[in-house]
Amino acid sequence: MIKYHPSEQILQSYVQGELCASLSVAVSMHIDMCPQCQRLAHQFETSCAHSFIGEESDPQNEDSWDDLIAQITKDALFDERPAPAPLEIEVKGEQFVLPSSLHNVGLSGWLKLGKLSRSRLDLGDGKLHASLLHIEKGGSVPQHTHKGFELTLLLSGEFKDEMDNYVPGDFIMLDGEHEHSPVATESCLCFTLADDALHFSQGLSQLFNPIGKLIY
Amino acid sequence: MIEKSRQQSTETPQGSVMKDVAATQTSEQRLLSAEQQAQLCDWMDRIANQRDRKAFACLFKWFAPKVLHLGRQRFGDASQAQELLQESMANVWRKAHLFNSEKGAVTTWIYTLVRNQSFDMLRKMQTNREDNLSEDIWQQHSNERDDSAEFSDHLLDRQLVEYVEKLPEEQKNVVKGIYFQELSQEELANQLGIPLGTVKSRLRLALGKLKAHMGEHHD
Repeated sequence: MIKYHPSEQILQSYVQGELCASLSVAVSMHIDMCPQCQRLAHQFETSCAHSFIGEESDPQNEDSWDDLIAQITKDALFDERPAPAPLEIEVKGEQFVLPSSLHNVGLSGWLKLGKLSRSRLDLGDGKLHASLLHIEKGGSVPQHTHKGFELTLLLSGEFKDEMDNYVPGDFIMLDGEHEHSPVATESCLCFTLADDALHFSQGLSQLFNPIGKLIY
Repeated sequence: MIEKSRQQSTETPQGSVMKDVAATQTSEQRLLSAEQQAQLCDWMDRIANQRDRKAFACLFKWFAPKVLHLGRQRFGDASQAQELLQESMANVWRKAHLFNSEKGAVTTWIYTLVRNQSFDMLRKMQTNREDNLSEDIWQQHSNERDDSAEFSDHLLDRQLVEYVEKLPEEQKNVVKGIYFQELSQEELANQLGIPLGTVKSRLRLALGKLKAHMGEHHD
């Protein structure tokens, strides 16, 4: 049972097309797995459509539209929408089918650090780093906090931290106040998004702070 | 402390907003009368089935001021708003066959095309990317689910139900099958044992009559 959902504010901005691509992709993948947010997003969409049709710009010369209309309708063909083939990836011998929101997003090669593997997603959102993170069963990310925020969307498998157990679809948004050390109870694949490097906060792993940049 | 803030940030998106959305819908449904809604569906149908340029011109002129308003709000710039209008409406023309009137309102479908176009334009302005991700991001969520409720709500308006009852038997069966029982036009043709074309023409006649009826009482 999915327990963690995007906030209403995020969902609303998603529906209005106002989130950056990385976050939009994450919400889209969550909605695919969460009927409840799917319904809510659709209600927001209907409501936005109603505001949209309730607004008019200043009247302008409609004649200028006739040329535009003629230009658009010159071509009588329809756009074909080929059903996208499922996109599969392999990490450490495991196969995963990627959500369709990621079909046209470039993936870097896999960087492997012990039980962790990470591939960067080429979404080009400046300081925001979006990645796929694979954790083998029993693997963990050392205790860390976040300088900015960190979003984890569990796509497959299970992990737990000090606070809870998570199932696929869980949309876990953390910020600088949170400190946790996730452990994979089953091998898992996550979409992660962070706006700054992790900050490792405990013992030896402090020495690894530079790898925060590599992982997230 | 951690627990508390986490609870707040990940709270289930239900509750008050649901009520707000419901309230907004009820009040805003009045913005668009049933005959306007039927008119939009009819234009879409003619664009999709006959590539009807006149129907497209009507639809374009109905939506253009709304698209331009949204564009000016979002981009604060008239030429960007004009580009949004051109690209969104070209998408309406090219994708009209993908619209499914049994699964949602024309207004919502067109809103999503405008939203997608503005997302791609904003992305292009901010990141210089021309990858048009919007169709991947929203492809499953636009007019694919069964959410005929909105159009049904209009048609279930008591006054309209009365008019439907007054239609000739054959047209009444088609309207009820499609809008009340939510059958597809193909399913209905099979069920009634008549050709698909007959279903379409009876529906058009019926919607025409309903529009005329509703018009009399709304003007």
